[in-house]
Amino acid sequence: MYRYIIRRLIAMPLLLLGIVSIAFLITHFTKGDPLISIIGERQMDNPVVIAAARARWGLDRSLPEQYLIYVGSLLTGDFGTSLRTKQGVGRDLAVRLPATLELVIAAMLLGSLVGITLGVVAARYRDRAADHLARLFALIGSSLPVFWSGLILLFIFSVQVHLLPGPGRLDARTTAPPIVTGFYTLDSLFVGDLSTFAEAITHLILPACVLGWTVMGLVSRQVRASMLEVLHQDYIVAARAKGASEPRVLVNHALRNALIPTLTVIGFSFAYLITGAVLSETIFSWPGVGSYAVDATRSLDYPAIMGVTIVGGTAFLLTNLATDIGYAFVDPRIRFR
Amino acid sequence: MNKDGTNMAGQRGMARLTRRALLLAAPVLASICGGPWLAPAAQAADTPLVIARAMDINSLDPARTWCDTCQIYVSNVYESLIGLGPDNKTLTPRLATKWESNADQTQFTFHLDPDAVFSDGSPVEAKDVKWSWERLHNIKGGPSFMMDGVKSIEAPDAHTVVVTMEAPNSEFLGILTAPYTGAVNSDVAIANGANANADADKSDTSEAWFMANSAGSGPYVLADYKADDELRFKANPNYKHGKVGISEIVIKNTKDAVAQAQLLESGGADIAMQIDPDTAKTIKSDSVAIETVPSYNFVYVAISPGAKGNTVKLTKEVRQAIGYALDYNGTVDFTVGGQGKLQPAPIPNGFPGTADLPTPTQDIAKAKELLEKAGLGSGFEINAEFPNMNVYGVDLSLLMQKVQQDLAKVNIKVGLTPLEFSVWRTHVRGDGIPLTAVFYAPDYFGSAQYIQYFAMMEGTPWWKRAGGANDASITNAKEGDLLKQALAAPEAEKDKFFHDIAMEMINDRVIIPLVSPNVVLAYAKSVKGVRYSACCNLPLGEITRE
Amino acid sequence: MASAAPALAAAVRPRWLTTPVVLGGLIAVFWISVALTVGWWPIHDAFLATGGRLGPPDATHWLGTDKLARDVLSRTLHGAQYSLPIGLAVIASAVAIGATLGAIAGFVGGLIDAAIMRLVDVTLSFPAILLAMAVTASIGPGLRNATIAMIIVWWPNYARLMRAQVLAVREREHVEAAIAAGASAPRVLVRHILPLCWSPILVNATMDFGQVVLQAASLSFIGLGASPPTPEWGQMISEGARNFYQWWIAFGPGMAILSVALGFNFLGDGLRDILDPRTQ
Repeated sequence: MYRYIIRRLIAMPLLLLGIVSIAFLITHFTKGDPLISIIGERQMDNPVVIAAARARWGLDRSLPEQYLIYVGSLLTGDFGTSLRTKQGVGRDLAVRLPATLELVIAAMLLGSLVGITLGVVAARYRDRAADHLARLFALIGSSLPVFWSGLILLFIFSVQVHLLPGPGRLDARTTAPPIVTGFYTLDSLFVGDLSTFAEAITHLILPACVLGWTVMGLVSRQVRASMLEVLHQDYIVAARAKGASEPRVLVNHALRNALIPTLTVIGFSFAYLITGAVLSETIFSWPGVGSYAVDATRSLDYPAIMGVTIVGGTAFLLTNLATDIGYAFVDPRIRFR
Repeated sequence: MNKDGTNMAGQRGMARLTRRALLLAAPVLASICGGPWLAPAAQAADTPLVIARAMDINSLDPARTWCDTCQIYVSNVYESLIGLGPDNKTLTPRLATKWESNADQTQFTFHLDPDAVFSDGSPVEAKDVKWSWERLHNIKGGPSFMMDGVKSIEAPDAHTVVVTMEAPNSEFLGILTAPYTGAVNSDVAIANGANANADADKSDTSEAWFMANSAGSGPYVLADYKADDELRFKANPNYKHGKVGISEIVIKNTKDAVAQAQLLESGGADIAMQIDPDTAKTIKSDSVAIETVPSYNFVYVAISPGAKGNTVKLTKEVRQAIGYALDYNGTVDFTVGGQGKLQPAPIPNGFPGTADLPTPTQDIAKAKELLEKAGLGSGFEINAEFPNMNVYGVDLSLLMQKVQQDLAKVNIKVGLTPLEFSVWRTHVRGDGIPLTAVFYAPDYFGSAQYIQYFAMMEGTPWWKRAGGANDASITNAKEGDLLKQALAAPEAEKDKFFHDIAMEMINDRVIIPLVSPNVVLAYAKSVKGVRYSACCNLPLGEITRE
Repeated sequence: MASAAPALAAAVRPRWLTTPVVLGGLIAVFWISVALTVGWWPIHDAFLATGGRLGPPDATHWLGTDKLARDVLSRTLHGAQYSLPIGLAVIASAVAIGATLGAIAGFVGGLIDAAIMRLVDVTLSFPAILLAMAVTASIGPGLRNATIAMIIVWWPNYARLMRAQVLAVREREHVEAAIAAGASAPRVLVRHILPLCWSPILVNATMDFGQVVLQAASLSFIGLGASPPTPEWGQMISEGARNFYQWWIAFGPGMAILSVALGFNFLGDGLRDILDPRTQ
C-alpha cells in the first residue's frame, strides 16, 4: 500500500506540470484580444498605446518565451498579474479562496449530513415509499442545473416569502469582520460579533443548500449500498435481539461501519462542488473563485484563467489523492498488496 | 420482535431522536429568526451611502483607468481644472478659477485656486497639474489621448498653467472637464514610484500603490478597494469646499439590474445605477424614487462597405436605403420601452452642433426605391456580428432582432451572430463587419471626440473599419475641413461648424444611431442631490441624506 | 397478507422493468421525438414575437412569454433540437475517441499504454467545468466549440473504462485460444475482446447523456455556449435570471434539463440491470 501512495505522490509534480502546460496552451491559442479590457476601445487603433500595453504585459514575446517566463514565476509563487483587476492573480485568488471554501465546506457538511440521513432512511425502509422518495430527492439534486435551483430557491425564499436574505455574503451595509481566516462565520465569532455571525450564517444557508443538494445523490447512494451490506450482518441481528433501540442500531452499529467508504465518496464529491461553485457564485453574488473564473473567462484574462485552472486542478488532484489514499486504507485489495 | 428484526421500541426511538434533534436546532433557529433582513430601518445620516452597480474597474490609477465606474471614482477623488454645471453644458470653475484662450485657440492659460489643497493638506500647485498631464500622456494608457496635440505645458508661477497646442483645438477646454485630467499630488505619487517622464509607460511602478491609495484634491479619498466586491470612499477632511454631505460611500458590485433593484427595495442600497426601464417597473416600494433623464449615451448600427463578408457593394444609396428602412420609434419602444430618444447624428443630443438636426424617419417606400435604383430590388443578404451585451438598458441582441425584422420588409436578409465583446473587437478591426451594433458614451463634453471617432475622415477608427483605406467613395473630405475650422473657431461660433459636420455624417449613413436610452436614476427617497452628469457620471460631493 | 396476483405479476414482469426505468424510457422517447419532429408541431414560432412581452402563463401561452414576446413553451420544446444532438455528438465522439485509445492502451500495453494513461490523468486532473470554460474561451464561444470542449472533457472516462475492460477480458481463455490459433493482433482485439467490453460503456454513455446536456446548458448559462436568439436551455435560463420576477422564463428550460437528466439516469440504471443481471 505504501508503494501505491508513494507512486501517486511522485506522479503529482508531473501532473501539475501537465496541468500548467495545458492551461497555458489553451489560453494562448485564442481568437480574442485581451488588450481591450486594459486600454479601452477608444485606444485600440492607437499603435503607440497598443505597443506600450503589449510590452507592459509581456504579450509581445514569443509563445515559448512566455511559457518559460510563466513557469519560472510559478515556481516562485508568482501567478502573474490579472489583466482585469490589475492585481496579482495569486493575491486575487488568496482573497477569494476563503469565500469559496466557506461555501464549499458548508455545502459539503450539509450535503453529507442530509445525504447520510437519506441513505440511512433508504436502507432502513428498503423498497418502500421512504426509500424511493429519499433516492428520488437525492437524484434530483444531481440532475438539477444548480444555476436554476439557485434562482428558484432565491425567488421563493428571498423574494416571495422573505424568509432568507438575498444574494451576497453579508448585507450590503455590513462591514466584514477583520480577516483572520476569511470565513465570515468564524471571523465574526472571533471578535464576538454575534449579529454579523448570524448574518453570515443566514446568507450562507441558501447557497450551501443549493450546492449541497448536488452531492446528496452521490453520498446517499453510497451510504445506502454500504448500509444494506452491513444491515445483514450478524452483529446487527444480535444488537436488535439484545433490545437496542432502532436509532441506536442504525447509528451506532450500522452507520459507523458504513461510514468509511462514505467518507471517501464525500472526497470525490469535491468535483461536483467545484462545478457548483463556479455556476452558482454569480447567482448568489458570492465573491469567490468561481465568479472570478467566470469573469476571467469572459474577458480573456489569461493569467487569471491559468491561475484558476492551475489552482483548481491542483486542489482537485490533492483531494483525489487524499481520497485515494483513504480508500487504500479501506479497500483490502489495495491495502494488502 | 417484528419480522425484519425491528422492535416496537424502534418507532418510539425514532420519535425520540427527532425530538432531541429539534430541541438542539431550536436556539439556532431562534437566533436566525431575529431577522436582520426584516423591513429596513431608516438610515442615520452617518451610515455609509451604498451605491449598487456592476463594477467594471480596470485600474484606479488616473492615468491608466478607463471605465464607467472608474469615471465615478476618478471624478470624485481627483479634481479636474474645469467642471461641468448641472445643465451639462456650461463650463464651471473647479481647480481653475478662471481661464483664457488666445484668438486662434492654440494657447490656453489657467489660473488655479490658491486655496486648493490635496487630501494630505499640501497646496495644489501648477507643477502638480503640469506633472499630472504629462504623466497622463506618457503613461500611454486608456485616457492618454486626451493630451494629444499638446505641444507644451508651462507653469510660470505656482498658480498659473499655460498650455500650448500644436494646432487649434477649441475642444481642449471641454476635454479638461473629463475626470481623467484631474490633478494628482505629484510629491506623494513620485514618492511611491510614479513619474511623468517620456518613458513612464515602462518606468512608472506606481499602479499597485494607486490601487490602494489616492492622492487627489477631490471631496473623497480612497478608503478601501476589494476587486469585484466593493469600493469604499471616505470624505476628504481637507476638502476646500468644506464638509461633504456623506462621510462614507460604498460602491457595491452588483452585477445585474434585478439584483440592484432588489437591493434598493430591501434598503440594502441607497442608489442603484443601472436599472433599465423594465426592471424599474417592478419596483413597488414607496420609499424609492425613480427618475428617468435623457442621457448622452447612444446605441448605433454601423455599415461597413469595406468589410470582407459583404455580398453586395454597400454604396451610399444602399446605406441610405437601410437608413430609411429602419423603424426608429419602434426600436425605442422595443428596446427600452419608450424610455429613450431618437438621435439624428452620431453626436449626442445637446452637444455642440446638434440643435435643429432633422430627426430620422422610416420611409419604406423610399428605401425600396433606392434599392431598385441600385439594382437590389429583390434584396440581398448581409451578415451582422455584434457584441452580445446589454448596455445602458439596451439589449443588443434584441436591438438587432428588431433591425432584422425591419430590414426584412425591404427584402434584406440579416444573419445575426452575437459575439463576445473581445472577439467582436478583433473582427471589426480585422476583416470588418458588414453590419454591426455597438454603443458609445462621451469621454468629456465636446463634439470633436465624436467626429474624430465616427466621421469618414482619413485615419478615424470608423473610417478604417468601413474600408476607407481601400475605397475613395467612403471618404468625405468636407468633414476634415469643417473640423479644422471648428477647432479654430471661438466659443460662440463653433456650433455652426459642428452642425454642418453633423449633417455630412448623417448623409454618409455609415453610422446610424438608433436610440439614446434614458438613464434611470433609482434611489431611496431620503437621498438628495442625485444627478446624472455628462462628464462624471455621478457627482458624489453633491449628495446628502436627510 | 400476500395474494396471488403480485406473485404472478412478478413472475411475468422482468426484474429490470421497474417504474423508474419505464419513466426514464418515456422521457427519453418524448424528448427524442420532440427533437425530431417539433418543427411540425402546431405551436407558436420559437423566434418571432407572438404575444405581449413578459406575459405570465395563460391559455394561449402555457409558459408565458419572454422579453422579446416569444412563447416560452415553444422555445423550450425547440431547445431539444439543440441540446439533444449536442449530447449525442459529445457522447458519441467521446466514446469513439476514448474507447479507441483505451482499447489500444489496454491491449498493447507498455509505453503506449503509459502515454495514453498519462494524457488521461492530466485531462482528468482538471475540474471539468474549468477545462470546458478554458477551452471554449480560447477557441471562441458557440455551440460547436462548446461541443468540442466537452468532448475533450469526457473522453478520458471512456478511455479508462475501456482499458479496464480490455485488460480483464484479455486474460480470458477464448482470447488465449485465438492467439494460439495464430489470429493477428487487430483481429483478436476487434473480434474477440471488444465485443465483450461494450456493456459498461453503453451504461455509462446513457447515464452520462443527461450530465452532458446539463454541462452544455451550464456553458451556455455562463455565456460560452449558445448565444441569443438560439432557444438553448442554458441560454434561456440565463435570460430568465435577468428577468428574475418573470419566473416562467427559466421554468420551462429548467424543467426540461431536469427531466432529461433524470430520465436518462433512470434509463441507464435499467440498462445496467438488463445487461448485467449480476450487478445490484
